[in-house]
Amino acid sequence: MIYLDWAASSLPDINLLKQSGNIYSKYYANPSAVHREGQNAFDFLNKCRKNISELLGCKDNEIIFTSGGTESNNIIINSVLKKAVKKYSKPPHVIISGLEHASVYNSAKALSDFGIEVSIVNPLKSGFISPETVRENLKENTILVSVILISNETGAVQPVKEISETVKEYSRNTGRNIRFHTDAVQAFGKIYFKPDELGIDTASFSAHKIGGPRGVGALYIKNGCNINPLYCGGNQEMGIRPGTENLPGIYSFSLVCNDILPLVHDNHQKAKKLMNIITEELTSMDRAEIIPYGRITETEKFSPYILKASFPPVPGEVLVRVLQDRGICISTGSACVSRKKNRQRILFSMGIDETTAYSSVRISTGHSTTEEDIYKFVKILKEELYVLRKVTGK
Amino acid sequence: MRLDCLFLIKYGEIALKGGNRKFFLNRLKSNIKNQLKGIHSKIIIKWGRIYLYVDAQDEKFTDMTLGRVLGIISYSRALRISKNIEEIKKTAVNIARENKGLNFKIEARRQDKTFQYNSYNIACIVGEEVLKNIPRLKVNLYNPDWVINIEIREQTYIYSKEKKGPGGLPAGCSGKGLLLLSGGIDSPVAGYLMARRGLAVNSVYFHTYPYTSEKALEKVKDLHKILSGYLPYSKLFIINFTEVQLEIKKQANPNEITLLSRACMMKIASIIAQNNNFSCLITGESLGQVASQTIESLSFTNSQAGLSVIRPLIGMDKEEIILIAKKIGTFDTSIQPFADCCTIFAPEHPLIRPELGQITESFNSLKIGNKLPDAAENAEIISY
Repeated sequence: MIYLDWAASSLPDINLLKQSGNIYSKYYANPSAVHREGQNAFDFLNKCRKNISELLGCKDNEIIFTSGGTESNNIIINSVLKKAVKKYSKPPHVIISGLEHASVYNSAKALSDFGIEVSIVNPLKSGFISPETVRENLKENTILVSVILISNETGAVQPVKEISETVKEYSRNTGRNIRFHTDAVQAFGKIYFKPDELGIDTASFSAHKIGGPRGVGALYIKNGCNINPLYCGGNQEMGIRPGTENLPGIYSFSLVCNDILPLVHDNHQKAKKLMNIITEELTSMDRAEIIPYGRITETEKFSPYILKASFPPVPGEVLVRVLQDRGICISTGSACVSRKKNRQRILFSMGIDETTAYSSVRISTGHSTTEEDIYKFVKILKEELYVLRKVTGK
Repeated sequence: MRLDCLFLIKYGEIALKGGNRKFFLNRLKSNIKNQLKGIHSKIIIKWGRIYLYVDAQDEKFTDMTLGRVLGIISYSRALRISKNIEEIKKTAVNIARENKGLNFKIEARRQDKTFQYNSYNIACIVGEEVLKNIPRLKVNLYNPDWVINIEIREQTYIYSKEKKGPGGLPAGCSGKGLLLLSGGIDSPVAGYLMARRGLAVNSVYFHTYPYTSEKALEKVKDLHKILSGYLPYSKLFIINFTEVQLEIKKQANPNEITLLSRACMMKIASIIAQNNNFSCLITGESLGQVASQTIESLSFTNSQAGLSVIRPLIGMDKEEIILIAKKIGTFDTSIQPFADCCTIFAPEHPLIRPELGQITESFNSLKIGNKLPDAAENAEIISY
C-alpha cells in the first residue's frame, strides 16, 4: 500500500511503539502516588516532558500532555467559558479563522450557544488569512484569537507570526490581554518553529501525525498564561488536564520527537522534492487543478507535506475508492468530518466553487514516503483518471 | 428444557378468513417457529388464540421476537393456573403489584360454562381482592392504566400488559415478491408494508462501485437485515450495476439517464423475479416525490417490468413514510450519509414527463446486449 494520507494519521514507527510496552512493567504506578514507585513514574513523566520541551525550545512547565490535538484545542477554546462568566460583564468575543480544524471550528461555534460572540475570518482566495482582516475584527471585548499554523486541507502556512504581532499590538494599544492560539498539529515535526518566536500564547500538537501513537498530544502554554481546565479532576498536568497520565503513550511521543524533530530540516527538503514531482506532473495534466492555484509559484508558503488537488468533474470520493483498489491511500476532506457539505467547508471559505471542491482530494506525505511511491502514485493516478474520464464520457 | 414460560398470542385478520383460516394459522405457526430460530418451544392453536410455550431462559428473546412476527395483533406473557378462585385471586393480586398506574380493570371471559362464577362475578370478586390488598388503586372501566385478563377454559389463563404485534397477515401467505431496495427511507418501508400483507419479500440492490461506496452497500445489507427481522426467509440479491450504468451514461441523452437506468433495474429485477418464482416487484416510489416519480415516468418504468409492480407508498406523504420507518427501525440506518447514486450519473435537468413512445425508443436503442441478463445471473445472494 502506498500511503499518502499522513495528514490524517502517520505510518507508525512500530519499533519505537514497541519500546513503550516495556514502560508498562517498569513504571506501572500512578505518577500521582506518594510512594516510591509513584514518584519514579512521576519523575519519568517529567523526563519525557523535559525532552519534548527542549526539542521544541520551550520550558518544560510550558508543556501539558493531552490526548491529542482535539483535546488541546478544546481546552483553549472552552477555557473562554469560565473566563466569560467570571470576569466580563459584556459577553466576550472570539476570533477564529475559516481554515480551522473541526476541533477548533465546532468548539468555537458551540460557544455562541453560551452567548459568546464568535467571528470567523475567512481566508483570501490564495488560502491565507490576512493579518489586516484579523485586525479589522478585533474589538474591545475580544479575548481569544485562534489561527491554524498549517492548514490541514491545503498545506498553506499561515502568517501566524504577523497575525500574532497584530494582535499583540492591538492588545498593547488598548491595554488588553488577547490570547493567541495556534493549532500546530500539522506543523509539529514538519516545519521548524519555536513557540516564543511565533509570538503565540498556546499551541496544540499531536503525536500520531509524526509516527507516534494515537491518543497522545500536547498543549504548549506560555508561562504566565492562565488557562481554565476543560473538566475537573485531580491536579495532574498542573490541573489543566486532570486524569492519570498515559505514561506509555507519552514515552512513545517523546521517543518519536527525538527521532523526528532534529531532522525537521532534512525531512522538509526531502518532502519538497517529492512535492515538486507531484506538482510538476499535475501541472502538465489536463483538467488537474492545484488548490489554491498560487501554490505553484509560492511553494515556500506551503507545507511540502500536504497538497490539495482537484480533477473535475470526477468526484473526489470516487477517485479515492478507485485508487484504494490500486493500492494507494489518499483522502478527500479532513478525516474528522463525515458529512459531505461540512467536509468542504474550508474550500468554500476560500471561495472555491462546488464542482472543484467536490472533485478535490488531499495528498499528504510523511518522512518515510519515497520517490518511488510518488512516481507510482502519479502513474496510477493518470491511468485511473484516463479510465474514469473515458467511461463516464467526461 | 421445561417449557415453563407461556405467551398468549392473539391474531387479527386471520380470524376473518373463513375456510382458509387453517392455512393462515399454520403459516403463522410456522413463521413463529422459524423466527424463534429453533429454540425449544410448543405451540397450541385453540379457542381463537395461540399458546406458545418456551423455556423461562428464552423469555426475553421470545418477547422481542413476537413483536416482529407478522400476523400477530397482540401478545402477553401469561400464566396458566387452576380454576380455583382463591388461586385466581392471589395471582391477580401479584400481577397487580407489578403493574404501574392507579387505574385498573379486570376483564373476565368464562368459556367453561360449568365454572361456578360467570364472567361478571369473576371480575367483581377478583377486582375486590385487588382493591383489598392494594387500597391505593381505583377501578376505571373506561380508561384504565392496565387490565388483568382472565380466561376460564380447561384451566385459567391470566395475563396483563398486552403488547402490540405488527398485525397484518403472516409472511409468505400471499406469495413472494421482490423489493427494489435502495439505501433510502422509502423502499424499506414499502417492503415492510407488503410483508405485512403476507408477501414474502426478497430484495434486490443495484451497486455501482466505485461510483458508490462499500458503505452504501453495507447500509443496504443492514436495512435488509432489519426487514428480515419480520420475515422468516428473505434473500438479498446484490447486482453489480456499474457496467450497465456506464453504458447508459455513454449512449443516452443526459436528461434520460435516470429513467433509462430505472428501466434497466426493472428489467434485471424482472429477470430475477422470473427465475425465482417471485410474483411481483415492489418499489418505494411515491408520486411526485422526485423527478423519476411522475406519472409519465412511472408509466415508462412499469412498461419495462414484465410483471406487476406494487407501490404501497404511491399516495403517501414523506412524513407518513418517516413515521413508519421510525416504527420499524429502519430510519436511523436509512439516513446514514452514504449515497447510492453518484453525481456523475445524475443529470442536471432530468426528464420529468417523458413521452412514452420516445423514451421507449431510447431504451430499445440502447446497445447493452446481454448485460442485463448477465447482471441478473451474476447476482451475489445473501440469505438471512
